[in-house]
Amino acid sequence: MNKVKKTSEDWIVDIVTWGILLIILFITLYPFYYILVASFNDGNDLTRGGVYFWPRKFTLDNYMLFFGKQSWINSLWVSIFRTVVGSALTLVFTSLISYGLSRPELIFKKFYRFLFIFSMYVSGGLIPYYVMLRNLHLLNKIWVYVIPTMLNLFFVLVGISFFESIPASLLESARLDGAAEIVIFIRIVLPVSVPFLATLALFAAVGQWNAWLDSAYYVNADHLRTLAYRMMSEINRAAGAASNQNVDTLVTSPTVMTTMATAMCVSMLPIICVYPFLQRYFVQGIMIGSVKE
Amino acid sequence: MSTELHKSGNLLRRLLRQKEIQIFVLLGVVFLLIFNYMPLMGVVIAFKDYSITSGIPGIFKAPFNNFAHFKEFFSDRRFMDLLRNTVCLSVLKLICTFPAPIILAILINEVRNKAFKRIVQTVSYLPNFISWVLVLNLATFFFSENKGVFNEIFMGLGLLKQPVNWLTSPGAFYGFSSALAVWKTMGWWAIIYLASITSIDPALYEAAGIDGAGRIQKILHITFPGIKGAIITVLILSIGGLLGGGMGGANFEQSYLFGNVMNNSTSEIIQTHAFKLGLAEGRFAYATAVDLCQSCISILLILVSNKAAKMISGDGIF
Repeated sequence: MNKVKKTSEDWIVDIVTWGILLIILFITLYPFYYILVASFNDGNDLTRGGVYFWPRKFTLDNYMLFFGKQSWINSLWVSIFRTVVGSALTLVFTSLISYGLSRPELIFKKFYRFLFIFSMYVSGGLIPYYVMLRNLHLLNKIWVYVIPTMLNLFFVLVGISFFESIPASLLESARLDGAAEIVIFIRIVLPVSVPFLATLALFAAVGQWNAWLDSAYYVNADHLRTLAYRMMSEINRAAGAASNQNVDTLVTSPTVMTTMATAMCVSMLPIICVYPFLQRYFVQGIMIGSVKE
Repeated sequence: MSTELHKSGNLLRRLLRQKEIQIFVLLGVVFLLIFNYMPLMGVVIAFKDYSITSGIPGIFKAPFNNFAHFKEFFSDRRFMDLLRNTVCLSVLKLICTFPAPIILAILINEVRNKAFKRIVQTVSYLPNFISWVLVLNLATFFFSENKGVFNEIFMGLGLLKQPVNWLTSPGAFYGFSSALAVWKTMGWWAIIYLASITSIDPALYEAAGIDGAGRIQKILHITFPGIKGAIITVLILSIGGLLGGGMGGANFEQSYLFGNVMNNSTSEIIQTHAFKLGLAEGRFAYATAVDLCQSCISILLILVSNKAAKMISGDGIF
């Protein structure tokens, strides 16, 4: 841009934009920052209020308490398991199927694609699905978290348009050499599909890590609860106790709140660490998916 | 040669030649049959007296009950509440979450400082990646009556006289959940608009500058028309998911997580009602009927919006 003298309109637009964006920045970031502060602050001290920007009574007790509690550790492992295994399954299954659907020579292509798109919009709803899982003996098993999630229909569509954009000449030469399709897929297609795979992996992993609905629907066993589910049940219990105003809850609730803050920090950490680095991929990914060229 | 192509033997040979990719796709089709199409057939239990212990065969054997579940739902004294909440919350969330990312994208685009621009963008995606459970927990810290940070600050500034419990008062639920939906989805959807802004020809801005257009005029006459296509696309997508909660897609999660005994009259929607009846109380067939009502309204909306979109822009989802 050339250095042009700013007009008064430029000044006003700049000030308004910066002003609004700074406010948005603050209301987006501050809640997370506050939780971080709370997790390092003494529980009893926190309930006195007035802690906003810095721990007043710094302590690591909340983290000790969190990592010392078997139920939290258990949930942490459940969430880690489903994130790792679940995302891997989704990645393999979804990309393989969308590659198949993207091949121009596929016979019955129109019919197959219809089956997939139709499923995106029409489902039997929660209860028939529950009945199905019950008959597959998936209820109350850890596999209920990773098997029904293997196919991501939205990413099947994204994958189709991504794989279609791979130049045919790239695949042709391998096919002339007589390579099997699965070999072509692994050796040639996957290496040029990093943006798609990274986006899919990110979304699958974030979805798995954050999941709690299936834990509420399909699981009763306490040791199979996900981290997000346990956070929900704990906060509801704390809120319920607080509204009852019992004497003993007033004593126990401070540590409940700081333990909550700790759990929240633990659950946010992987996401905050990962997503900024995958930014350029998911920006590409969402564009392939939502805007037709 | 071309006549032979239509013979079935030929089709079989062609299928065999591409058996590998057929297998790839069929894996997915089998998966869909199990997890989508079988449950879809299971919807018939909405019209039947079904007991879950009778398993899958029971779905087909159970007797029809003459729409008893639907009659019960329509005559439920809470029916109007549920319908109102479902429709109002959906529409309200659409109205709030739709324009916010457009405005955010235009604001971000007006920033000349590259570093600030990047920071705002990166930070604004963050809420999209955290779960609604976490939003609930954050909200509990900030908006509860007792020691909620929001109340403390606003009372400290003299803007509130008494602490308000945003989480339990029925009057606050509509506005509160819409605001949270905006907070969570705004940055994410702005990505699409920002990307489509970058595809606007810079020469247009230069030409307008030479003609003496100011920045506000450029926004109104170049940026905004430039992203009109993206706006229509997103509008179609979000109307399609209207009853699911629009761009946030989280009507159920919000109502389930933020709903409680106190704000029940404004927070309960058809879906959460179905969930509670079905899985919590074990009335599976009735809950399926309730859920089905919601799906019917949803499909109707998708068809209508797709038609409308085709008329406006010549392009629809399908």
